[in-house]
Amino acid sequence: MHIVDILQQWSENNAFFIWLRESSSVFAYPMVFFIHTLGLIFTAGASVLVDARLLGAARQLPVAPFARYFAAIWIGIAFTVMSGVVMLGADIQTKLQNRLFPPKMLCVVAAIALTAALRTRIASTRPEADVSPLVRALAAASLICWLGAIALGKFAVYF
Amino acid sequence: MNSWWVVPLCKTIHYFGIAGLAGIVGLLDLRIFGVAKGLPLRPLQRLMPWAVVSFLIAAASGYVLLRIAPASALGPPLNIAFAAKILFLVLIGLNDILYFATGLKRQVDAVGVGESTSASAKIVAGVSIALWIGVVYWSRVLTFLAGAI
Repeated sequence: MHIVDILQQWSENNAFFIWLRESSSVFAYPMVFFIHTLGLIFTAGASVLVDARLLGAARQLPVAPFARYFAAIWIGIAFTVMSGVVMLGADIQTKLQNRLFPPKMLCVVAAIALTAALRTRIASTRPEADVSPLVRALAAASLICWLGAIALGKFAVYF
Repeated sequence: MNSWWVVPLCKTIHYFGIAGLAGIVGLLDLRIFGVAKGLPLRPLQRLMPWAVVSFLIAAASGYVLLRIAPASALGPPLNIAFAAKILFLVLIGLNDILYFATGLKRQVDAVGVGESTSASAKIVAGVSIALWIGVVYWSRVLTFLAGAI
């Protein structure tokens, strides 16, 4: 049996996921969806701002102190990923069969990896020093991945 | 007019606007709270016009979405979550007016790198964060009550 079928069967018989799918309570699926939305808005928003700064916007702001802000970004990523996994668990087969799901996940994984890569480089940026071409390239990639993940997530619902 | 891609495109634009807004407002509110104190507040507050631009992008795309499917928000019956969302946005506007009118904005401008802001500034920032989280919450309940979740 295929791994997806095994997981699908488990989800269909799991009490928590049954409740999540079938409850009409605003504290069931809508609450998980709310946490996902809140987390991704905060995470993507913060990342887009940091990326814009690295790409040359708001030069009046020093780069290095942004490294301290990444703790908040990681908390946002944790909430978004956890709630995302729960929503996937509630509806494994449909979500995995969506043709926009794999590219969305690719964007998300790349964006998270770029967040980690940028943090260490931002922390070691000296005041007054220019942002290196490598860091600018990473920031541009991060920007594309976050915005791409949002767009693919929105379009996936209608695809 | 209503091809299948119009709604997801409007929602994507809506979220891009929200991301710009959340990026600036989130960082400013959290910095006032004491996160990433190495960031100077005065240049951070100079990003506010960009937050307004982001808000206008979100508002315009939101208005288009409302015109495409008015019944899901305006009813009848009126979607109570939509009313709450608009109320919270008005409260955010009042909170922002308070921030400027009471001179708190200028007071925060003068706070140096590594320094803490006043308790009143922290209260206004806290109210702002709570209300914005509320706006996201009501948006999700709005979708739920409209039967789209």
